[in-house]
Amino acid sequence: MSQLLQIENFTLGFPGRPPLLDSVSLHVNDGEAVALVGESGSGKSLTTRAALGLFPGGSQSSGIVSVQGLDTLTASKQRLMELRRRRASMIFQDPRAGINPVRTVGDFLTETLVRLDGLSRAEATERAVTQLDQVGLRHAKELMDQHPHQLSGGMLQRVMIAAALLNSPDLLLCDEPTTALDVTTQAGIVRLLREEQQSRGMGMLFITHDLNLAASLCERVYVLRRGEVVEQGQTQTVFLTPQQDYTRQLVEATPVIEVGGLATPVVAGSPLLKVSGLSKTYQLPRGEIITALDDAGFALPEGGSLGIVGESGSGKSTLARLVVALETATSGELTLRDVRRPRRPLKASERKVLAKDVQIVFQDPYLSLDPRIPVGNAVADVFRLHQKQGRKEAKDSARVLLGRVGIGAERFDARPRALSGGQRQRVALAKALAARPRLLVLDEATSALDVSVQAQVLELVEELRDQLGLTILFVTHDLAVVSRLCSELLVMHEGRIVEQGPTARILEDPGDDYTRNLIASRPRPLWDAEPVTA
Amino acid sequence: MTLAIQLPQVGLRRYGSLLSAMAWGALAVAAAVVLLSLFASVLAPYDPDYVDLNNVLAGPSGQHLLGTDALGRDLLSRLMHGGRTSLLGPTIVVIGSTVLGLLLGLVAGWSEGWVGKVLGRLFDLLFAFPALLMAMLAIALFGKGLFAPILAMTIAYVPYVARLAQSLVVAERGRPYVQAYRVLGFRTPWVVLGRVLPNLIPTVGAQSTLNFGYVLADLAALSFIGLGVQPPTSDWGAMIEESRGALLGGYILPAFWPALVVVLVVVAVNVIGEELSDRIGGKLS
Repeated sequence: MSQLLQIENFTLGFPGRPPLLDSVSLHVNDGEAVALVGESGSGKSLTTRAALGLFPGGSQSSGIVSVQGLDTLTASKQRLMELRRRRASMIFQDPRAGINPVRTVGDFLTETLVRLDGLSRAEATERAVTQLDQVGLRHAKELMDQHPHQLSGGMLQRVMIAAALLNSPDLLLCDEPTTALDVTTQAGIVRLLREEQQSRGMGMLFITHDLNLAASLCERVYVLRRGEVVEQGQTQTVFLTPQQDYTRQLVEATPVIEVGGLATPVVAGSPLLKVSGLSKTYQLPRGEIITALDDAGFALPEGGSLGIVGESGSGKSTLARLVVALETATSGELTLRDVRRPRRPLKASERKVLAKDVQIVFQDPYLSLDPRIPVGNAVADVFRLHQKQGRKEAKDSARVLLGRVGIGAERFDARPRALSGGQRQRVALAKALAARPRLLVLDEATSALDVSVQAQVLELVEELRDQLGLTILFVTHDLAVVSRLCSELLVMHEGRIVEQGPTARILEDPGDDYTRNLIASRPRPLWDAEPVTA
Repeated sequence: MTLAIQLPQVGLRRYGSLLSAMAWGALAVAAAVVLLSLFASVLAPYDPDYVDLNNVLAGPSGQHLLGTDALGRDLLSRLMHGGRTSLLGPTIVVIGSTVLGLLLGLVAGWSEGWVGKVLGRLFDLLFAFPALLMAMLAIALFGKGLFAPILAMTIAYVPYVARLAQSLVVAERGRPYVQAYRVLGFRTPWVVLGRVLPNLIPTVGAQSTLNFGYVLADLAALSFIGLGVQPPTSDWGAMIEESRGALLGGYILPAFWPALVVVLVVVAVNVIGEELSDRIGGKLS
């Protein structure tokens, strides 16, 4: 086995600032799948791009980055082009960002073949169709004439993989290629990548923030933190017996499905939230009707915790937005604390009353806070509105509450811009709690966070739930997160609830095919891989 | 993650510092003109209306730095005094159109139903009328002077502000932070006026700064065709108009100076406006 990609003491940074990458060394052998794992800002993308000779403008770098003996730090433009076209390909996170939306899939795939490899249009088309076939896309011929918007994210990522494989590269670089996809779609893509890598004997460098995913695909792993490789080795070894503190934290923070530590479901007399026959349809301008939520029914007792799990388009967010009255149901009933929700937008006075019953924390920590308002004031405003406190008293209450969610007094006057994603989500949580609601809806509230931060925020939610006796409605795509926090589970698919019951029961013995597929799609380490059935 | 964006950054940064040097220059020009006009009664060497028929159409000299006009009035003094009316008009128009435009834009952007649509169409309708035409209509109704053109210009420039504010509000309305305010039970007027409005002001302010330049030029044009400020009040546009006879006689200076000042101020204000909108645009994206 020869070294396909060799990176030695690679350092990269901007003059006058601490380096972004510090003496990174890693290698990928022919036919080997290697994972590069790290949280956001760890430098994994920078490292990978260097292998194609892509460096941020104005940066200075030293060391060796060589692909089959070609040093990309010193190579001429000509040689780099050659490298990118023939020997190494890259797949990116967002397939939609990498394809021209006004041209067909066929144009996209055949362009370089015709213009640079001198193939005739017919030859190029034939090769592209064969390649589409190979990546598991049916009706490849028809697909060639379709535009990107007609394809789902998963299909489009397969097209991108086909494009990357067209020139039979020796090295495939994957930059979080499944992060934007649903779990069941991800499972298919991962299987495809593994098969192609094995059958072609390609070397692969797979970037991910997800240790589970790395373990399901790669034999070896490098763990990157703040531009430094902190640990490396066989995936199994690193995963099961991590040597460094940071790796240990990362492994511990990585959510896994565990049903042992769950509280038993609360059984209570009258439910806090009761939903029956709830539906929401939207009418598109062309008259088409879309059913976002179809006949949902469930009950959530006071002090209970319900997880709502589903993939994109399953209707889970619609349900959450109905609960907090950001949407109005088309039909069905929703009763919160024995108050029946009117089927019209709420009046201001009704909304203010409702605010004390239910609050929500959104997914994106960068958009869910007002950019102009210092976080202390943002929380104090809620105290003034709902607890009838004066300016000074509200500020004191805000300080105490922020302290409780882990935001120190020194950050009281900070704007959201100055806070990290995890800190912003803590502030959002504090804002919601300042209204002292009974029910807290978390709409993918931890999905945008790094795993270690996610673990901390989940811990905080758990703590607050126990201390304040909050009832929790947790909307997420991640079964593992739910298994940790929610004793009851509700699985949604295409607008319908396909299964509901105690979390432990559903995870151990799913009664519905879709739930089974969802559980089976979670990445499984190579060392205890059962063949994934779809 | 954003390497593609970072690639040309070094070049852009150099360009950026060049731009701000220009903006500083523009700011200095604008400030100088404003101060000279504001304190004209103290700083101006002569009474702007003092007629000296022994000294008509004189070139620049120690006594008259920029020369005199056909009635022997000191051009520098007239320019400085003229700045008051010439700058006052656009200032009122910009403030008026910004306040009105912001309010209408907020209403149009916030109401999802027919109100927003009707207002949007109304803005489009106003767009279709050239500002100068509106001003002439208003003059026909209210007579010559400063009032009619200012009123007409204010209305004509409302849609520029309102359209921008409307689109910004529509974008903000969908943001999670605004939805969080709703769920928290804050009243809509508080959210819209207290929270959303301040977030629009930087962007709208940049647009209004640009408008200032256009309005200044438009009002000068109105004065030039004799519909704006009436003699003997000094005004840059009116000064150019009064100098038509002299211009035909080969004396360009009486018309040149006010024209130069108009151009200088319009360019300076545009540079500042561009700089502001660039910076704010960069910050928001």
